[in-house]
Amino acid sequence: MNPSIPPSTAEYGGDEVSAIVLDSGYSTTRAGFAGEDTPKSLIPTYYGRYSLDGQEKLVFGDDVFVTPRPGLSVHNPMGRDGIVEDWDMAERVWEYAFTSRLTGPKSGNPLQNGLNDVLEGELPTDMEGVESEEKLLADSPLLMSEPGWNPTKAREKTIEIAMEKWGTPAFYLARNGVLSAFAAGKASALVVDIGASNISVTPVHDGMILKRGVQHSPLGGDYISSQIRALFKSNAPQPISITPHYLISSKTAVDAGQPPQVKLKTFPPDRVPDSSYRTLLEERTLSEFKECVVQVWPGPNKLSATGPNGVPNEEVAKSNPGRPFEFPDGYNQVFGIDRYRVVESLFDAKAAIPDPESLFPTPSPAQTVPELIKNALNGVDVDVRPHLLANVVVTGASSLLYGFTDRLNQELMQMFPGPRVRISAPGNTAERKFGSWIGGSILASLGTFHQMWISKKEFDEHGPNIVEKRCK
Amino acid sequence: MAAADVRDMLDLPAEGQPRPHKKQKVVEKRPEGITRELFALLGERAPPIAINENRYKGRPKWMSKLRVRPWQMAPFVNSARSDGLVLRHWQRKHEPGKLPALEGSEMEVDENNADETNPSSTPVEESSFSKYNVKARVPNRYTDEEYNRHLQSDKWSRQETDYLMDLVEEYDLRWVVIADRYDYQAHPIDTETNANALVPAKQYRTMEQMKDRYYVIASAMLALEHPPSEMSEAEFELHEKMKNFDPERERSRKELAALQLNRSADDVREESILLEELKRITANEQDFITERRELYSRLEVPISVGNTTMYQSSQGLSQLLQTLLQADKTKKRRSIMGPEGAAAPSPAGQTPAPNAPGSARDSAADTPTAAAPAPPPSNKKAAAAAAAAAAAAATKEAQQSVRTLTPAEEAKYGVQHHDRLAPGVQFRSDRAQKMTQAKSNVQTQKLAAALAELEIPLRLVMPTERVCKDFEKLIHSVNLLLEARKVAEKVEGEIRVLEAAKEERERKNKEKEEKEKPEVKSEQEDRPLSAADAAIEAAAAPDPPSTAETGDKATGDGGAAGPDQGTSHKRSASVLSGTSDKSSKRQRK
Repeated sequence: MNPSIPPSTAEYGGDEVSAIVLDSGYSTTRAGFAGEDTPKSLIPTYYGRYSLDGQEKLVFGDDVFVTPRPGLSVHNPMGRDGIVEDWDMAERVWEYAFTSRLTGPKSGNPLQNGLNDVLEGELPTDMEGVESEEKLLADSPLLMSEPGWNPTKAREKTIEIAMEKWGTPAFYLARNGVLSAFAAGKASALVVDIGASNISVTPVHDGMILKRGVQHSPLGGDYISSQIRALFKSNAPQPISITPHYLISSKTAVDAGQPPQVKLKTFPPDRVPDSSYRTLLEERTLSEFKECVVQVWPGPNKLSATGPNGVPNEEVAKSNPGRPFEFPDGYNQVFGIDRYRVVESLFDAKAAIPDPESLFPTPSPAQTVPELIKNALNGVDVDVRPHLLANVVVTGASSLLYGFTDRLNQELMQMFPGPRVRISAPGNTAERKFGSWIGGSILASLGTFHQMWISKKEFDEHGPNIVEKRCK
Repeated sequence: MAAADVRDMLDLPAEGQPRPHKKQKVVEKRPEGITRELFALLGERAPPIAINENRYKGRPKWMSKLRVRPWQMAPFVNSARSDGLVLRHWQRKHEPGKLPALEGSEMEVDENNADETNPSSTPVEESSFSKYNVKARVPNRYTDEEYNRHLQSDKWSRQETDYLMDLVEEYDLRWVVIADRYDYQAHPIDTETNANALVPAKQYRTMEQMKDRYYVIASAMLALEHPPSEMSEAEFELHEKMKNFDPERERSRKELAALQLNRSADDVREESILLEELKRITANEQDFITERRELYSRLEVPISVGNTTMYQSSQGLSQLLQTLLQADKTKKRRSIMGPEGAAAPSPAGQTPAPNAPGSARDSAADTPTAAAPAPPPSNKKAAAAAAAAAAAAATKEAQQSVRTLTPAEEAKYGVQHHDRLAPGVQFRSDRAQKMTQAKSNVQTQKLAAALAELEIPLRLVMPTERVCKDFEKLIHSVNLLLEARKVAEKVEGEIRVLEAAKEERERKNKEKEEKEKPEVKSEQEDRPLSAADAAIEAAAAPDPPSTAETGDKATGDGGAAGPDQGTSHKRSASVLSGTSDKSSKRQRK
């Protein structure tokens, strides 16, 4: 392709207006320009808060992980169900998502930003006529995503922030299920989104979600982490405790199963970061564990059942070679069948590893992925069900668990032996992780989409409730 | 200008040395990113993996000489929007320099004017995508009057109907979405003002109810717009379709669809097996049809109409052979007098148009004989032997491939072996019918009467092979019986005549004796007479009981022999009378 010749718009129907797409999840917030294939700005939704010299300071972005500042506590503006709880902080996090990578910090009110401060002895210049404030997103339309069960109040609050605080000329709020379906190139699909705090199943028909079919449950990536913690507590040679990297001063290699030989860093009591900081960093180790070790039993049948040739699946799983993992403190171990057990409860509620200290209650059968899909299908018209089953889109970073789509396919085939079941899950990690952002990027760069934006003028005329009318 | 002209001009010798032929180097192109020395080291055999850096090529050199064509951020509007939102996108800058020189000045003036009038300088262009903004066609909205007159419904209030129509318009007739989003609150104000008041049970509307209501309204509105008589064809079709919408049927269809969707694995497996079976059957059907067609085409071979009587005598046959030989000789071929010429000429080979089934059988029977004969006397010995061997092998193969059926299987498939087949096709029932026709009319009637008494229809209901056989037997025995009765009647008549004659004679003798020896011998005379009478009486008198017995015995026999024991018990008097006649006759004998 010749870079000096633009692709003709007829080829892809694109018409880029330098819109910004913001897709905020519980774990990470993705932002980028529409028309690109990956979000330029990927930051954790977590933010840190500490006080320095009596002044409260905030840390955003990847900086949260870096320095264990004294008293640093980590918070998340989102609730576990994916709905924003702390609006002020959510706004700050989102702002950070644009300004750090996309728009750059705007100078703010020229009267207050310090650039025009009058030096002593000089006459103040006439400031009349200067626009009082340049807003953050004054020249970029903004497309935001939201979960399918977002309440009206949260939607109205979102458009208020976008219009009034950031001054975007045009705004749209799209369901992330719809966007994931678009990213997979489908207008109608059953989107199975395995996120950090939630798994959700969203039936999408002609680019609109079917509200009665939307299902979600908390068995997301964080739940798997809690299962892994429970597994570590009851680990066979010795219970494993996770020591994050920041606590380790030096370590020596030990054999598998041997207690770690590590020298820990010590913090004076007044400089210790908050426990939430440690939890956050432990989560990072756990997600590494999930990427390297954890595996979904690929089926057929549950892990506790017997396979098609009469051999119990657990036996088969035991005979598979284990996977080694080394923890930050040097402790290492080979994980055999346990690596299947920690995710089995996503499909079989009875297989959950019990842990009374866990934040997550024991899952009910209705919270498992196959049941969610079944309930979602029962909530929609029978005529579209076969079509939805033939277009199951799997997205979300936790769906990257090894063997997840195979198992899902098996479960669906067992549950619906009649209709054709086809799962479409991109093999590309980025496409799976940023499915809904990519869909938003496609949508916001389409020429035909521009008639759907809610403009500033419309917002001023109708108020925030317009989002209910327009973003259906 | 040729080379010779140049040489002339430069005063060079006319025939210079021929230019050394440039050696054509066959050099593999060195891939970019590899130095010459390194490439030389590779030798002749290039490595299987291409070593070249995948890097950005940049723009070709000639392009850098072109003038840069600038782009600019241009505002545009989309006419599909009502608010005139101006968005901006990158566009190639409009270049006045490219315009023809003549118009250039005018254009500039125009632009200057435009600039003066419109300080934002760049005109806002129209988005090329607004043309894709299409809406589904929804019927016109009813007025109050129209609604009250035509569209009243018990189940739907005016407000809810309005709500439905709004939704339909909003979601462009996507019923799946409409049914999903349908959420009509009957009295929103009431429920808000007094929360304690009874909230009416929320009515759940199914998609079918919504569709039904909508189609009623849409068809009514269509009819109001144009009466059905004035509608165009498409409109009328639409109108009919909407008018005939049956929510009940749609509902049951969806129930069935749900059932179909939620089948168990066993059902699915069974269905797949059945489908497989169906596929097999349809595949076989094609074979079957072609086979049958072949069979028909064989059956339809024209039956020879010529008179064959002349060939039935040996003389005629030999004559035929002679004529054929003559014909053969003229053709200089020796097919008939060939390998089997010495053997008896097969009739199949000579009858030009034999009956189809017969010929097929004959030829089949012939093949072994054609193959069997030992050294054929022809000079083409080897070839003939080879042919014979091949034929023998073929027949052997054919015999092996034919499966022999057990008697039970033969009975099952109705396979029969006939010594002789009557030519042509006939019905079994016809044959059975023919048997009931006797030579004389009277006899036929008697037969029919006998069958009627046995309650056997004249025309068989189910003329299977076995039934026909048994029927044949029955007719045969009935014929026998009739014959016997005829004889018996005849004998009885004779007896009666003779008795009458004897009585007459005796009476005469008596009279004579009475005349000759009166009174004395009368008793003696009487006795033998009465004895004779008694004998006759005895012969006649015990008849009824004995005939009954023998008759029973006879029927019993007949039942054992005959096909239908059930009917044999029903034999009534006239048949019995026949048997009784016979038995009495036997007794008498």
